[in-house]
Amino acid sequence: MAAECRVLSYTVHKWSSFSSSYLPENILVDKPNDQSSRWSSESNYPPQFLILKVERPAIVQSITFGKYEKTHVCNLKKFKVFGGMNEENMTELLSSGLKNDYNKETFTLKHKIDEQMFPCRFIKIVPLLSWGPSFNFSIWFVEINGIDDPDIVQPCLHWYSKYREQEAIRLCLKHFRQHNYTEAFESLQKKTRIALEHPMLTELHDKLVLKGDFDGSEELIEKAVNDGLFSQYISQQEYKPQWNQIIPKSIKGDSDDSRPGMRGGHQMVIDVQSETVYLFGGWDGTQDLADFWAYSVRENQWICISRDTEKENGPSARSCHKMCIDTQRRQIYTLGRYLDSSVRNSKSLKSDFYRYDIDTNTWSLLSEDTAADGGPKLVFDHQMCMDSEKHMIYTFGGRILTCNGNVDDSRASEPQFSGLFAFDCHTQTWKLLREDSCNAGPEDIQSRIGHCMLFHSKNRCLYVFGGQRSKTYLNDFFSYDVDSDHVEIISDGTKKDSGMVPMTGFTQRATIDPELNEIHVLSGLSKDKEKREENVRNSFWIYDIVRNSWSCVYKNDQASKENPNKNLQEEEPCPRFAHQLVYDELHKVHYLFGGNPGKSCSPKMRLDDFWSLKLCRPSKEYLLRHCKYLIRKHRFEERAQTEPLGALKYLQNDLFVTVDHSDPEETKEFQLLPSALFKSGKDFTPLGFSDIDHTYAQRTQLFDTLVNFFPDSMTPPKGNLVDLITL
Amino acid sequence: MSFVASVFKERQVSILHCSFCRQVLCTRGMKAELLGGTDEEMFSTDIPPTDSVDLVGSCYYFKACQCKLKNIACLRCGNEVGYHVVAPCYPCLLSCNNGHLWMFHSQFVFSKNRMDKSGMYTLLWKDLSDTDEKHEGMLGLHEDEHEVYLR
Repeated sequence: MAAECRVLSYTVHKWSSFSSSYLPENILVDKPNDQSSRWSSESNYPPQFLILKVERPAIVQSITFGKYEKTHVCNLKKFKVFGGMNEENMTELLSSGLKNDYNKETFTLKHKIDEQMFPCRFIKIVPLLSWGPSFNFSIWFVEINGIDDPDIVQPCLHWYSKYREQEAIRLCLKHFRQHNYTEAFESLQKKTRIALEHPMLTELHDKLVLKGDFDGSEELIEKAVNDGLFSQYISQQEYKPQWNQIIPKSIKGDSDDSRPGMRGGHQMVIDVQSETVYLFGGWDGTQDLADFWAYSVRENQWICISRDTEKENGPSARSCHKMCIDTQRRQIYTLGRYLDSSVRNSKSLKSDFYRYDIDTNTWSLLSEDTAADGGPKLVFDHQMCMDSEKHMIYTFGGRILTCNGNVDDSRASEPQFSGLFAFDCHTQTWKLLREDSCNAGPEDIQSRIGHCMLFHSKNRCLYVFGGQRSKTYLNDFFSYDVDSDHVEIISDGTKKDSGMVPMTGFTQRATIDPELNEIHVLSGLSKDKEKREENVRNSFWIYDIVRNSWSCVYKNDQASKENPNKNLQEEEPCPRFAHQLVYDELHKVHYLFGGNPGKSCSPKMRLDDFWSLKLCRPSKEYLLRHCKYLIRKHRFEERAQTEPLGALKYLQNDLFVTVDHSDPEETKEFQLLPSALFKSGKDFTPLGFSDIDHTYAQRTQLFDTLVNFFPDSMTPPKGNLVDLITL
Repeated sequence: MSFVASVFKERQVSILHCSFCRQVLCTRGMKAELLGGTDEEMFSTDIPPTDSVDLVGSCYYFKACQCKLKNIACLRCGNEVGYHVVAPCYPCLLSCNNGHLWMFHSQFVFSKNRMDKSGMYTLLWKDLSDTDEKHEGMLGLHEDEHEVYLR
């Protein structure tokens, strides 16, 4: 379409508020050097908005925000844009934020539904958060671009009204059928030729609701499952966590010697090929450790590779170091450590760097002091990732350890953070990729501690989020493309929808699955009183890299901790920090070891428990069984009304086999079913004016439940006509 | 910082408004000269004016001394109107000072004299009720807090 996109003229139609002389009309002119040339709200209490009215209906394709010549705390860190043909009925066109700088920013607005452009007359800008969270919202200048050529817009308007009409008719069809207004249904369908649903679902409706052919309905569902029609539903289901405490085999019977002891601040890596977890060092509550272990998943056994790696030319005892594994070359690297301030001196503050070769069981010292080689200074609480393909190591952040000697210079005691470094394992050379930066420039990154960094071996990006810098908690999330040296901000951490993103802190642990394009985050324990979710015990989050969305797999609240039931404590690891989590992306299993339970009464206590975690989604088989259960349950209830004896028999045989009796919930529900034998259908409330009976209503309800498993493109509209009626 | 030299007690109390949006920023303003010795005229106040301003940007050091500062902006219009002394330096603490840590640039505020209860006389600092308000937390960083979580 050779339509010309041009600047659309508009007026400011409505606004929520304005303060002082900062009138809404000010956004029509672009005067970056005039601080007063802006709209500013009178409050930052929602809802604040501006509604723009475009001169004539147009396809609005983009919006441009002008700004002040300097940074300004009133700039919109987070906003949404809505559009529609009238003010009451608007669609979200954009959810984004402005950088706090002086550059104009342009955003593409959603202007198509199913590849079809739709027109807008009104554009609503809703500020959600300003750069200074306590400040009012200001917009300096707005320009909107799009197509208002009537030759283009007219057909879109036409399509738009047709689309709305079609959806309205489908809602009517659904309503008519639900209430058995057969004649109205048939004549509307005949007249409009609009399909309510995929023919397969019409067939299901016919069998299940109209004919009561339950066997036929089951067959149909079985076919749908086998044809993979439920896979969209399955992929949208949340994972269920399955924690299992690992009790390793002990060789000598002397358990102290056959597995690693209690510790926090240790390191773990996993070799997914051999299914071996390596564990090194840590802090047992009183001292640093230098023991080195391997756990074989297949053998379910720990083997102590070394009691003291220092004696084998390896690293000295340490904690808060980092480790990464090159699974191709079967080598493990370790860098950094924490030192108590009492033992810091120029000698101890050297950053040594070791490599362990698994096959030859030898350690080699790659560097006595990486800082002298152009690499990082001695750091702790940094992150390190391996790129096996290109034989590179990336390390980012961490706090630089310094001597505490010269306290007179206040500037020296400001914490220093390490930047982003790359280590070429082949040439054994370091390169500084990003210095620590406080600026918010597009390619700058802010160093930190307590963050997560993960390397995606397929798209070759590092993903960094969370952490802390002095007293500031960082909630941003960015990726760094290691090949193109490019930083991309995924989220600037200003999303106000708390509860929808993980509570980032500095004790969480994360893993990545490049195959599934997922990042997993297990929350840690922190005593921070300011945290909103103080009551949350453990939570597990998944970030879908492709969809750019977070989901919470589970959250346990504090209440369960109070539960005196001892068994409950062993169902999952207790909340902790200073623990380690590794992920086998091949077998889709996480392993967690040790950490600090943070008991203020016993500050030296550390953990030595070892757990595996699997994330499960409902399977096709589960769904098929569940659907059969739903159908048979209904069949039983129908039968219970007419022939209780036959129904009881049906319950004991046909229905019984569709229940998973090992599941306490399912079992309980099943045990309650016989009560239907003593219920009469007389307590049924008739639905308004229609003549449908209890059976028809129940069958319709079951049909709607089953339809939910099918993809949206096949199903009737999700909404109900009656829900449009408000009182 | 409870001791305030008597020279300050004779000064008039000012009401300070934001020069951009006219919001009242502070009702306990004092005309002040800087210890750093610049010529710029400033106003200062003692109780943190958190209802009208907020801290913006990052900390920086004052040119003439070692005081650690952070800018403050008017909550209504967002424009920067002054700074907060996050951590005063040792020499400044030793020298004669009014103990105020919240400063306003005179070109970004306009001031009116505050009257006493009678409305007849300008209010002096010595007649102003004492401030017991403590604003800890702004002073001194809690160093090494996070290290507890590492191991």
